[in-house]
Amino acid sequence: MSKSESESRENNEIESENRILELAKSKPNGISNNDIKTEISNIPPEVWTKTVNKLLKTGVLELFKDKGVLLYKYKDPSKKTEVKGSDNEEKIVYKIIEEAGNKGIWIRDIRFKSNLNMTQLNKVLKSLETKKFIKAVKSVAASKKKVYMLYNLEPDSSVTGGAWYQDQDFESEFVDILNQQCFRFLEGKRESAIKLGGGPLMCRNRSYVTTTDVHKFISELGISKVQLSVDDIESILYTVVLDNKAERTVNSNGEYLYRAIKPFLDPPGVVRTTCGICPIVDRCGDSGLINPKSCKYLTSWLND
Amino acid sequence: MSAQQGLVVRLILLERFGDIVANVGEIIFQNPNSLYHIAKSTKVPLGKVKEALSILIKHNLASFKLNVDGITAVYTLNIKNVFLMLRFPKFINLIKTKFDEEVEILVEEILLKGCLTGSEVILKATARLQENKNISVLIQQLKDKFASLVTAKYVIKLSTPTMKEEDLFALPNIDLKKLLIVLNGGSETLSDAGVYWTINFDRFHQDLRDQLIVNAVTNKFDENIGELMRILLQQMYVRTAPWVPSSNPVPILEVKEILKKRNTHSQLITHFEQYVNILEQDSTGIIRKVGEASGGSYQIEMKHIFNQLVWETIEHIVNEKFDSKASRIFRLVRSRHYIEPEQIQNLVMIPAKEAKRILYQLLEENFLVVNELKRSAPNLGPNKSFTLFHIRLDQIIRNIMELCYKSLYNIMTRRQHEKYLNKRLIDKKQRVDTITHGMRVQGISGDPVLDIEEMITPPETEILNRIGKMLQKLSLTELQIDDTMFSLEMYLMYD
Ligand code: SF4
Repeated sequence: MSKSESESRENNEIESENRILELAKSKPNGISNNDIKTEISNIPPEVWTKTVNKLLKTGVLELFKDKGVLLYKYKDPSKKTEVKGSDNEEKIVYKIIEEAGNKGIWIRDIRFKSNLNMTQLNKVLKSLETKKFIKAVKSVAASKKKVYMLYNLEPDSSVTGGAWYQDQDFESEFVDILNQQCFRFLEGKRESAIKLGGGPLMCRNRSYVTTTDVHKFISELGISKVQLSVDDIESILYTVVLDNKAERTVNSNGEYLYRAIKPFLDPPGVVRTTCGICPIVDRCGDSGLINPKSCKYLTSWLND
Repeated sequence: MSAQQGLVVRLILLERFGDIVANVGEIIFQNPNSLYHIAKSTKVPLGKVKEALSILIKHNLASFKLNVDGITAVYTLNIKNVFLMLRFPKFINLIKTKFDEEVEILVEEILLKGCLTGSEVILKATARLQENKNISVLIQQLKDKFASLVTAKYVIKLSTPTMKEEDLFALPNIDLKKLLIVLNGGSETLSDAGVYWTINFDRFHQDLRDQLIVNAVTNKFDENIGELMRILLQQMYVRTAPWVPSSNPVPILEVKEILKKRNTHSQLITHFEQYVNILEQDSTGIIRKVGEASGGSYQIEMKHIFNQLVWETIEHIVNEKFDSKASRIFRLVRSRHYIEPEQIQNLVMIPAKEAKRILYQLLEENFLVVNELKRSAPNLGPNKSFTLFHIRLDQIIRNIMELCYKSLYNIMTRRQHEKYLNKRLIDKKQRVDTITHGMRVQGISGDPVLDIEEMITPPETEILNRIGKMLQKLSLTELQIDDTMFSLEMYLMYD
């Protein structure tokens, strides 16, 4: 695809979005596919159908059916959603949940604030949930507890656990990969600093990196589905330090600097035998089933 | 002193001196005892006990003092020295690299006998080396080499309470003419009879310690800094007693001069100041600048170095015994001294459940301890107590020592067991070897020798090879376990 073509396509998409929004705003009762076709005939169908899908997804348009015809209705995001067709109780609960913001609120606290009994409250919550006014989000803080918040809100990272949680589960593989990649980056820096030559001091100083450097590297790798912040990378880098694979110092701006390092020692002799790492060493003796003469661990280690 | 240690002591004595010495050693390991009591508890005849004790005393493995009754002697086992026997191969190797094969043989003979007079050492070494050599030249050489061992303090005079410090390394009077007479079968009283020499373990330990440090520094930085460290240590001795925790200042220019003269590490000479800077600025604090005059002078922080090395040793052990997540947690607790479980979970980036499991494991094996802190003002909020994780280094070191004893015991037991299982074959091989060796000495070669050699069938050879490898691996492991014990000992020495 040539450049001009792709540009015109982009223009098309922007125009299509504007025109459809205009149309929808002008008809509060909803617009049908036919309306769009006739009103913006200059835009090809494959473009505007894409636009409609996008708008539906972002919640700017709402889909509903009237007498067998599909209609799209404009939903003003700036206007507070009216809890239509709700009774008073629903309104009160809605308000309590709204106040809790994106941190959400526990059912116990809603009950406490609303003075409703449990059965009532459950009914109200269920109804609000089916109408998609609110949603229940599992909190990482306490595994079995749910918090409620407004439907369109993005839960706070204290609830989701931030980048490291996927549906409440800690993504330890993801963290491990990042840990390895961060170390790889530091190690690469160290090696290239050695290759560059110069005096040993320069060599050492060249092997230092800032968190921002590492952040850039990780972002460019594209291994992360979620956007990682510099702070996220800082946490990962600290685990590399704790693994004794890197050291951390502070530069004159108060920024952390990291550098790959090597240990003083190889694993000590005592853990190079099976006995040094044996999980049943306490039960191992001269007599009895577990003994060094017939031990299978030792046998396979000896035959290695 | 632990029961596990006692088991290893017994095995070591058993391997080198046999059953009776091992039994006697075991008794005096448990309790210092008089001759009569030893005989009674071991059920060994008195004469044999005396023999065993004299072997132990000659090797400096037992000592004695007058009992409270003022008549009998009480015998004690020198446990440390028993364990040192595991280190002999390292001592021999060290001497071989530092001197030459002839000096190695001198040291070997002394190690073998425990103690010898200078003349005896030379006689024994001559017996081993005399093939194709002019005897009088050889004994002159050996005498000189023995003298250099004494001057370098690798051997030391067996001391009596009345001996003065400076006499410990005074050269003996060795009369070569008399030696020659003895060598030719005559009898003669040797000039230095009664002046016994033994191995100065302390001196060997200094070398092993320095080697350990240089290797560690080389691993962490590079060859150049390793060499810098080596010369620093060498110059340390010029003005510092060997075992002080923090050396007297070493003028850095002195080190530079030596390096220039040797001219082995050109990089190090060109960027000398930079390398010194790197070593000094390292967070582990190996050397410390204490003076600015004439290029600066530096203290070597021995205590500090071994503190660092022992921590790293333990971290490695946690890593191998559990996994990398466990060592991550362990290092975090080390760096924070006291830390709450929630904080640990957040910082190590391990799923809460797994972190809990690891913490529990580390607690169970005593790598971590828990301190409960009661909140001081009970009327503020819920009366909660804090749980803080913490490390007790001394306790861990004790446990690792025990682990070393246990592993040593198991490995040695296994080695003896493998030997025992294949005893018939090993003995056969030995017999064949003796016979063929004898034939070759008599000048017989060709088919008759081959016939004898073929008594060991190919499958048997294969088994022998396999066993040989196995035994070698086990022996090597024993040496490696001793390495671990050595670094822990060094830490305790400076502690
Ligand atoms: S001999 Fe076997 S069971 Fe006993 S401690 Fe060693 S590895 Fe474990």
